Amino acid sequence: MFTRKRAAIVATIAAAAITLAGCSGSDSEETTAPTTGAATSDGAMAAPEGTLTLGTLVPVTTFEAANAAWANESPYMQAVYDTILRADPDGTIVAGLATDWSWDDTNTVLTMTLRDDVVFTDGNPVDADAAAQSILRFQGGTSPQASSLRFVEDATAVDAQTLQITLSAPDPALTTMLTQNAGMVESPAAFDSADIATNPVGSGPYTFNAEESVVGDSYVFDVKADYWKPEDQYYEKIVMKVFSDATAMLNAIQSGQINGAKLADNTTIPQIEGAGWDIVSGELNWAGLLLTDRDGALTPALGDVRVRQAINYALDRDGLLQAAAAGYGTVTEQIFPTFSTSFDESLDATYTYDVEKAKQLMADAGYADGFDLTIPYTPAFGATIFPIVEQQLGEIGITVELDEIAVTDYISGILGQKYSAAFMQLQQDPSDWQIAQFQIVAAAAWNPFNIEDPKVEELAGVLQTGTPEEAEAAGKELNAYLVDQAWNAPLYRNQSTFVTDANTDAQFQVVNAYPYLWTIKPTN
Amino acid sequence: MSEVTPIQPEEVAKEPSTGSHLVRRLLHNPVAVVTSATLLIIILGAVFASYLAPYDPNNSDLQAILQGPSSEHYLGTDGAGRDVFSRLLFATRYSLAGALLAMGLAAIIGVTSGLIAGYFGKWFESFSTWVVSLVMALPGIIVLLAARSVIGPSLWYTMAIFGLLLSTGFHRLTHAAVMGVRNELYVDAARVSGVRNRSIISRHILSVVRAPVIIQMTIMLIVAIALQAGLGFLGLMDNSIPTWGGMLGDAFAKLYQDPQGILWPALTIGITAMALALFGNALRDEVERSATPKKAATGTKAAEIVLSDVPTVIHQPADADREDLLRIDGLVVGYDQPDGSLKQVVSGVDISVKKGEIHGLIGESGSGKTQTAFSVLRLLPHGGRIAAGTVHFDGQNLATLSESEMRKVRGARISYIPQEPMSNLDPSFTIGSQLVEPMRKAMGMSKAAAKARALELLDRVGIPDPKRTFKSYPHQVSGGMAQRVLIAGAISCEADLIIADEPTTALDVTVQADILDLLRSLQRELNVGILLVTHNFGVVADICDWVSVMQDGRIVETGPVGALFANPRDEYTKSLFSAILDEEHARGAYVAPAGTAAGGK
Amino acid sequence: MIRFIITRLLNGVVLLFAVATIAFFLLYWGAGDIARQILGASASQETVDLKAEQLGLNEPVFSRYGEWLSNAIHGDLGASWFTNQPVTEAITSRMGVTLSIVIGTVILTAIVATILGVSAARYGGWRDRTLQVVSILGLAIPGFLIAIFLVRIFAIELGWLNATGYIDFTDSFTGWLKSVTLPIIALSIGAMAAVAQQVRGAVKDAMRQDWVRTLRSRGISENRVVYKHVLRNASGPALAILALQFVGLLGGAVIVEKVFAIPGIGQISVTATTQGDLPIVMGIVVFTAALVVVINLSIDLLLGFVNPKVRLS
Repeated sequence: MFTRKRAAIVATIAAAAITLAGCSGSDSEETTAPTTGAATSDGAMAAPEGTLTLGTLVPVTTFEAANAAWANESPYMQAVYDTILRADPDGTIVAGLATDWSWDDTNTVLTMTLRDDVVFTDGNPVDADAAAQSILRFQGGTSPQASSLRFVEDATAVDAQTLQITLSAPDPALTTMLTQNAGMVESPAAFDSADIATNPVGSGPYTFNAEESVVGDSYVFDVKADYWKPEDQYYEKIVMKVFSDATAMLNAIQSGQINGAKLADNTTIPQIEGAGWDIVSGELNWAGLLLTDRDGALTPALGDVRVRQAINYALDRDGLLQAAAAGYGTVTEQIFPTFSTSFDESLDATYTYDVEKAKQLMADAGYADGFDLTIPYTPAFGATIFPIVEQQLGEIGITVELDEIAVTDYISGILGQKYSAAFMQLQQDPSDWQIAQFQIVAAAAWNPFNIEDPKVEELAGVLQTGTPEEAEAAGKELNAYLVDQAWNAPLYRNQSTFVTDANTDAQFQVVNAYPYLWTIKPTN
Repeated sequence: MSEVTPIQPEEVAKEPSTGSHLVRRLLHNPVAVVTSATLLIIILGAVFASYLAPYDPNNSDLQAILQGPSSEHYLGTDGAGRDVFSRLLFATRYSLAGALLAMGLAAIIGVTSGLIAGYFGKWFESFSTWVVSLVMALPGIIVLLAARSVIGPSLWYTMAIFGLLLSTGFHRLTHAAVMGVRNELYVDAARVSGVRNRSIISRHILSVVRAPVIIQMTIMLIVAIALQAGLGFLGLMDNSIPTWGGMLGDAFAKLYQDPQGILWPALTIGITAMALALFGNALRDEVERSATPKKAATGTKAAEIVLSDVPTVIHQPADADREDLLRIDGLVVGYDQPDGSLKQVVSGVDISVKKGEIHGLIGESGSGKTQTAFSVLRLLPHGGRIAAGTVHFDGQNLATLSESEMRKVRGARISYIPQEPMSNLDPSFTIGSQLVEPMRKAMGMSKAAAKARALELLDRVGIPDPKRTFKSYPHQVSGGMAQRVLIAGAISCEADLIIADEPTTALDVTVQADILDLLRSLQRELNVGILLVTHNFGVVADICDWVSVMQDGRIVETGPVGALFANPRDEYTKSLFSAILDEEHARGAYVAPAGTAAGGK
Repeated sequence: MIRFIITRLLNGVVLLFAVATIAFFLLYWGAGDIARQILGASASQETVDLKAEQLGLNEPVFSRYGEWLSNAIHGDLGASWFTNQPVTEAITSRMGVTLSIVIGTVILTAIVATILGVSAARYGGWRDRTLQVVSILGLAIPGFLIAIFLVRIFAIELGWLNATGYIDFTDSFTGWLKSVTLPIIALSIGAMAAVAQQVRGAVKDAMRQDWVRTLRSRGISENRVVYKHVLRNASGPALAILALQFVGLLGGAVIVEKVFAIPGIGQISVTATTQGDLPIVMGIVVFTAALVVVINLSIDLLLGFVNPKVRLS
């Protein structure tokens, strides 16, 4: 059960960083005794009452669990579905539908025990078979996270309450994935229904009220009677309103039409604070220049580490944070998140803004006269960041050409090896192993030139299969190596902001764009 | 599709004005001078942006974000620390260039296709009309939004596509103008004399469409600027080059932090568009002024009234025993001219109409007879007025009566039969409602009573199926019938005097006699006085008791019909008589072209 | 009459078909990597390929067009690629918002333009000059610029919340009225300028007609002559330009909605086109074109109503 312990270690550090109260209890007790969870320990359970109205940024892509998205869509999903496992705000994995889980010695077979008192809205029981089928369907579906189950070979119901997941190789991130959309269980009886995309059949604390909802605009959920975890049901009704416009959201906040909202635009924060609202914030992504062509296939200059370092020195991170994100965020030079054991604050002082040093490095590398660099450009990231990057790299002789492409072609363009470098925001996954899988190793999607560095591969292997101690050490070494080699030019981590009115509390969920639904509750 | 269509195609088929004259006149038009100077400054700013701008427009000073105006940054800095003044200069360059691209493309495509469709017609005409309606079926911005998802945010592509959309405006304009002159005599003549199509188009037709196309260009430029700014504002335009719309969008996003930022791009767009609009307006004014040639000022100076001193030939003084129903003394009618003078059309006319008498007023068109008749009703065309003299009717001087008192006289006491029956009935209302309305107003009749009387009257004036005619619209009856309807209208309110303005001129010869008979019999039956304006001695001979001959705004000869006909003494009267004889024998009855007698100007 | 309507409707259907066909091929031929756009940065290439296959993005454009057309004929315009919301539902729910603003604008424009145009034509002088100034302003200043300044004044200087945002009239009528007032004013000014000029011209033309003198000679009061007879005859050209304005206003609303943060057809147009949500874009194109066809037909019918010559021929 080492991964659970690892999670706990992660959690302790995160808890210290984010200073959350009352949630960092010993994992074994909590996971095996779910009825004594965080909510009940706060006090007596109150009957659900009133309406909670939340502002969201995106409508539901689909309610079908197998294809569902997460992140900004997580509140919709958590209203109607239960996940096999759950995560506390600090990322600690706790019991969900599964009360107990354990790995075999090879870390490739996960055996889980499910609750026996949960039913779907169609009346069918939530059992191991439903869970197994849901997992396999998700793996073959079109959720953005479908590939997170790529190591799953099979999921089977040993008996009604025992679920077994077999992996082709160890995957330390699997349990985390089971706290998200990959772990949502939908009734197999609904798999073939025609309206599965709009009519979820789950076992969650609320049911979707299609009649009162306006798809794309507002989604209404009614509290479900006899839910297995009634202490998570604070409200009789939850309304989630989609705001595609920051001004409209600001109006709704100032006029009290909603109780909580994920902000689209941090520059409205002063007005919202002025209205007496509370700010719940954290950081989810790192933003910066991906120097994808590290071997110099398209732009030979980038193959020289001194050039990549020069780029890092040439960028004024503080100024860029101010200009592009209005100062909401933290400048950084590493891609690992603060809650990771690999994070090293001292690394952020590696490439302090220094144009002269950058020019020197360029000259040392034989590029005193600079070189041409084409960067894809889309207005989706705002108007300011690209011209500033162009200007600052221009200072050291790099002639940046902004190649304007449709937003629909932006990611494909980067992943399709069309550009040597690109501005991007990438998520900071909960575990180092996931980060490596996502953007570091040769096979990672966000290592589009599939550049293989033996040292990186070796360290990443330790992250996957090593002991927690080994993994921690490997992570630290990997991070320091990437910064030193200037694999990328990270600039800052954006602030993700959730706001609540005076009567509502919420907790920032580490690595998720939206607080988890059960952390949003009445004050007191 | 084009949101603004201030020029109507009909408006444009006017005489061309030569270019150099137009430029000279524009230089004397203060609005044109001020606006073109403004535009010139803006254009110079755009052209020399590189020299004038103190900073690179895309240069971000991250230490100076959202600063107010200062000596360093004349208009402050934006959210990315860029100099607003420099950006504005370059934005003007790109935005104007984009708008010019759209407008230029629109003009080239639209004028060419309009010329082809208008001049050659055939399948291309119907095809292009269809394409135009296709384009008009969608708001331009929707088309551009859809196009954007394919072509991306490029300013130039977007404006080129918008140019295609705008070309429909030029196409319609040119097409209509060319259609208007295609079959004109001078074009026909050129074609017959073997001039090649290309030179016909360039010499005759292009000159017709040139001025309206130039005016349309200023409008299209405004439309293109507005649309481009809108797209930029929505954030759908290329952000790597500064544009007005992009600056607006950036500033709008920071509206709460820096409410002033929006001012500069907004003002620049506003001033540019305003200057263009005013310039276009001035241009139109000058074009229209040249289209209506200035008339020589024939009028006398202000307030100076000239009475005719030529004596009237009087055959027999009016019967003093019988009371005058209408007595006109020394009537002068004139039109105020822009230069303050008065153009006199009637110069001292004396006429008296007795009760139960038909007084013919005869003369050529332009002699002032219709003006005299309208003076009695005080319904002179716009700008005309009774400058001197009295019009006594039933003890009142109509010349000085207030408008509201005059309204009581019209219809109820003095009524009117016009010349052209079809144009004197409101095409939008039924004949019945047009008969009923005055009776209810003037006589206070109930709706039912008025309707009953209207049917009676229609029957009386000889309309075969009064009920059907009552329900009909004017265009559904013949001219003769319409004239009977108008006569019914004239007698409906039991007026004492009827002003009949050439009541048979516009009618078929066969109908003329019937109408005259009807008038005569009604006059006897109702014993009303009639002032009958005509140019036809036959009509006078037929039904008039008394006749006055008018020439150049004065009465040259007057007397009982019998006496005057037996012995015309005035030279002009004599010449009229000889003309009649020719007419009657050689050409049959003369039918005046519609409308010639209406104005008299 | 019936034949007239049927012919016009058939013409409209042909037009609609042509617009839809052209739009479809342009959009689908030029489409980018929509599946990646839908799934975002974190999805693997395999998942993206699967999504593309599910959406039929790999099929030839012609077969997709055939499928789209046969569904469209049955009233099914498909579903959004990004929200799975049926296209018809997505558009109708927002079209109401936009139409309530556009129709409000048309009504306000018609009333004010009539008053302005009639008094300018009738009296000339300062009234005419006022109209000329309004026309220049309306022609020159884009509606959304006026909108921005209205927001600046009312939302920022005065701090009125209702300056932006939209309240459905089923929720609160006065709230709705407050939320649409400024957008309607912003949109009206341009439309007013064009329509008032047209009314002025048409009224002037009508007042020159012979029958106006005849009506006056019958003792009909000037107000009655102008407002009953002249206006009725002038309404044809005025209605024609109002119809043209309606189409223009649908476009103008797109930008003004952004300024006032109104969730109408403009907002969904911008979102759908930037995302590449082609079923929605197609739906918007088809709906707007159909709306324009219907508006033009109704204006023609209305013209027939005010002009008996058209009606009966």
